[in-house]
Amino acid sequence: MARAIGIDLGTTNSLVASVDARNRPRIIPAEEGRPLLPSAVHYAMDGAIEVGLAARRRAPERPVDTVLSVKRFMGRGPGDIRPEDRGIYHFDETGSVVKLAVNHGKRAVSAVEVSAEILRVLKKRAAEDLGGPPGPCVITVPAYFDDAQRQATKDAGRLAGLDVARLVNEPTAAALAYGLDQRREGTFAVFDLGGGTFDVSILKLEGGVFEVLSTGGDTHLGGDDFDRVVAARLLERGLTPAVEQLTPALLRGAAAAAQKIREALSSEERVDAEVELPGGHVLTASLTRAELEELILPVVERTTGPCRRALEDARLGGEPVDGVVLVGGATRTPLVRRHVKVLFGQEPLTDLDPDTVVALGAAVQADALDRGGRDDVLLLDVIPLSLGVEMMGGVVEKIVLRNSTIPASATQQFTTYADGQTGMVVHVVQGERELARDCRSLARFTLKGIPPLPAGIARVEITYAVDADGILSVSARELETGVEQHVQVKATYGLSEEEVEAMLVESIEHAEEDVTERFLVEWRVEGERIVAALETAFQVDGELLSPDEKAPIDERIEGLRQAMAGRDYLAIKAWIESLDAASKEFAERRMNKHIGKAMAGHRIDEFAGVGGKPGGEL
Amino acid sequence: MTCWACKSDVPPEAPSCPACGKLQPAAGGEDLFAALGLPRRFDLEPSELEARFRERSRRFHPDRFARADARERRIALDRSTRLNDAHRTLREPRRRAEYLLRLAGHDPLAEARTLHDPEFLEEQLEVREQLAIARAEGDAAAVAALGQGARERLAALEGELGPLFAAGAPHEELSRRLARARYYDSIIADAVPSPQRD
Repeated sequence: MARAIGIDLGTTNSLVASVDARNRPRIIPAEEGRPLLPSAVHYAMDGAIEVGLAARRRAPERPVDTVLSVKRFMGRGPGDIRPEDRGIYHFDETGSVVKLAVNHGKRAVSAVEVSAEILRVLKKRAAEDLGGPPGPCVITVPAYFDDAQRQATKDAGRLAGLDVARLVNEPTAAALAYGLDQRREGTFAVFDLGGGTFDVSILKLEGGVFEVLSTGGDTHLGGDDFDRVVAARLLERGLTPAVEQLTPALLRGAAAAAQKIREALSSEERVDAEVELPGGHVLTASLTRAELEELILPVVERTTGPCRRALEDARLGGEPVDGVVLVGGATRTPLVRRHVKVLFGQEPLTDLDPDTVVALGAAVQADALDRGGRDDVLLLDVIPLSLGVEMMGGVVEKIVLRNSTIPASATQQFTTYADGQTGMVVHVVQGERELARDCRSLARFTLKGIPPLPAGIARVEITYAVDADGILSVSARELETGVEQHVQVKATYGLSEEEVEAMLVESIEHAEEDVTERFLVEWRVEGERIVAALETAFQVDGELLSPDEKAPIDERIEGLRQAMAGRDYLAIKAWIESLDAASKEFAERRMNKHIGKAMAGHRIDEFAGVGGKPGGEL
Repeated sequence: MTCWACKSDVPPEAPSCPACGKLQPAAGGEDLFAALGLPRRFDLEPSELEARFRERSRRFHPDRFARADARERRIALDRSTRLNDAHRTLREPRRRAEYLLRLAGHDPLAEARTLHDPEFLEEQLEVREQLAIARAEGDAAAVAALGQGARERLAALEGELGPLFAAGAPHEELSRRLARARYYDSIIADAVPSPQRD
């Protein structure tokens, strides 16, 4: 029978593991007998693709054609990539999915495709090792991954031909590996500092159920950040001959050197090395552990906030956890271990290798799923970020709160904002911030066919359902007249079924046209919604603006209308952003006015934030 | 009840068919207490609630049905979703109280809106004003003290819910407590430094 496998698809390295005949999880060597497969993919000019060590060796000479740390780009949409992540890569942001332009722009690959190359190699290795194609598979994701990032990970698995039975949060997988090994009950903290992401989770193991109590982290914090600050210091001090402008190759080479030096300083007090860099440069690298710690301290301290918050959310009432599990290569750094000890008031557990523990846990979970495992430990995961909907004025109404156990679903009712309103834009967002623009936008769709009724009479019920993978689907229906509409949405930046199909048959061009069309339609709808909302707002609260204040808003409305008549969705988007900025003050005044009203009338619901929302326009 | 898979008779409380072992959908109209297999009352032992939740999670969770057919997977997803909802709602005394009131046909939120509680409101407006001043002046100690005061009052209020339910207090009394609790929440939320944003 095909064996289930667990995959740790990491930022820096990836691993595959399975459970052996004696029910023990073990790592399947990825290449050359090593457990780790570097998460590196090289696209050669002749069209060949190399993955792993071979690809990573190419990185110094061909940095732009060699994709490292692709995980940082998973599930990211146009304009969504943080400047510090852009690094040396070239991006093609014309489609719905960001692509990396390689081979002098001759080839564009999405993060999902790059990840699928890594997964293909792991799948092949597993097949060779197990003597046949692997069965169902579990892929781990950082607990902090949002819906779009999870969707992208699942898509990558499908693209690689894997039967992805479940996505499991990395810290949860790590705890699972420990929990089964040690057979102990209690609460655990998992501190996972990998190459590119930081996760912290508080879990409870009791009565055969592993329950995630809370989770937090930072999707942009990891060992790479250590290397970046160390590389900057090394280049500043010891590059001969010096250069005016650092090239990608030099940066890449220095980062690789920084990583080696940092790792060496985990056991040594001082490292002196001369590193040859591309282009005949030499990097004279001398660093003591004290200097390293001073450099990385600010990065390490960024883990404090998420840890405190996770402990608070877990509601342990001040009780210390029973153990702290370390995951990720960066936790080998002595400074990190000392920091963890201070945060949690105890020495962390180090029985298992922090590099392989996640994959081992994933294999355990894959095996349990495969056997319908009634005797095994059950994993209860939570949703890492709140899911909400954008309300009038751009504020977010949370529908499913963060740290809710999944699967979960929640329903909320809304009413129309304008008389005779027949459509409602539902903007689905994820995050803890109050304003939709500060949250992650997941999807946007329009519920049509609402019967034209006076404002506030039509009732629309919105249901969010999160499945056991943490992936969301949203439905909306109108209740008043019994007219039902059911709309299923998938995250905008994930891939639709059709897109995956299209990629499988390599007819990407057509899919892209569709996607552009969809964006155009979506942004036009959004533009119309905003103009209509503003016009209604002018009618109701026009007195809040002087003519001079209103003029710039009117100008932008006109500009937006012209853009909506055209076919460039990016132009529409830009005008919407400009209009948003210009009307921000107006929106704030309106909010204040309405809140002020409620306070003056001592209306208990507004004051305490309970019950019906003003307007309720979505 | 009839099993959807093998058409055998299934006792109403049984989660699975005794004949073929397939998971059965929840009984229609099942409330959240029933979803956890608990009696419908306010006084619940937290450890009992947690134990029931774990035991039922082991039985219903979709992971247990990864290899099952689509229909059974769907039922597992529904039951597990409902179970999680029950756990989330009932483990917190206030949400449990609110839910009990709703089951009894009352709407605590609507009642809160029409509630006449002028003295309490006056007092809260005053506290809010003090909080606003303390924040404006950057007086962290005063802000923390106001938050602590609200927390203590909230704890006292939550302690009253059990005896009120046990004594069969009128629902208006309970709704009033729940409405007041929200004011304390809002003070507590405003009195802590906002959590670090990502």
